[in-house]
Amino acid sequence: MIDALGYTVVALAGVGVIWGIVTAIANKPPGKAQLLYAAGLEAVTVVQSIIAVAKIIGGFRPVELATTIGYLIGIVILIPIAWLWANVERNRFSGVVLAVAALAVLAMTLRLLVLWIPAG
Amino acid sequence: MSGVRAPQTGSAGRRTNSGAGRVLVAVYGIFALAATARASVQLITRFEEAPLAYLLSAVAGLIYIVATITLARGTRASRRLALIAIIIELIGVVTVGTLSVVDPEAFPRATVWSVYGIGYGFVPLVLPILGLAWLWHTRPQAARPDEGGR
Repeated sequence: MIDALGYTVVALAGVGVIWGIVTAIANKPPGKAQLLYAAGLEAVTVVQSIIAVAKIIGGFRPVELATTIGYLIGIVILIPIAWLWANVERNRFSGVVLAVAALAVLAMTLRLLVLWIPAG
Repeated sequence: MSGVRAPQTGSAGRRTNSGAGRVLVAVYGIFALAATARASVQLITRFEEAPLAYLLSAVAGLIYIVATITLARGTRASRRLALIAIIIELIGVVTVGTLSVVDPEAFPRATVWSVYGIGYGFVPLVLPILGLAWLWHTRPQAARPDEGGR
């Protein structure tokens, strides 16, 4: 984990949550820009997980090693699944589905940032 | 609950995986993932610390998986399974939640249902209620005034 990158993911995910809610309130399916944004969020999340896993392989040992690895893997599959699920039936709820996934990414990243302490 | 009413578009309505149901499935899916992963880590790395709590964690994960799949399928048969899973889920979160308040020793704050799911923003407590409400809302044979001649 790199703190700055972690907080970038948190901020990007936060915008994703709001965007999803806004399209839902506007009663519209997610547009192309919103879907591209979700893809961008996914890309940054993947980069973060790769860097973190590389650091663990390089010898860093966080306090909760198994949980941290689980989060780093789990966090990258949320957006793709939500994307597919949101696109099967496109309406206002597709945006909420994307928002839910972004919220999960946000919460998991915050948790990862907390867990990223060397085991003593 | 009127805010989550799915728009009635054509003959596809009434299915648990349509409209707002897709959001419900998404949330259930995340909890299926979270609870199962968490339980696996707990059972593998420190089962002896709190076997009961961690086994319950695994059961919770399983119930979320069943609820996710059955709600996502949305067939008549899967509705019945979803109903059973969600009722067990509700009983589970209330029971474990209460026990964890009464006897914190037995339930370290490490399961999805501890203190009614406080670690997950109480979503585990609200989710089964929303699930049951959604099953009720999408129940098959009920004649509804807003459905016109169908």
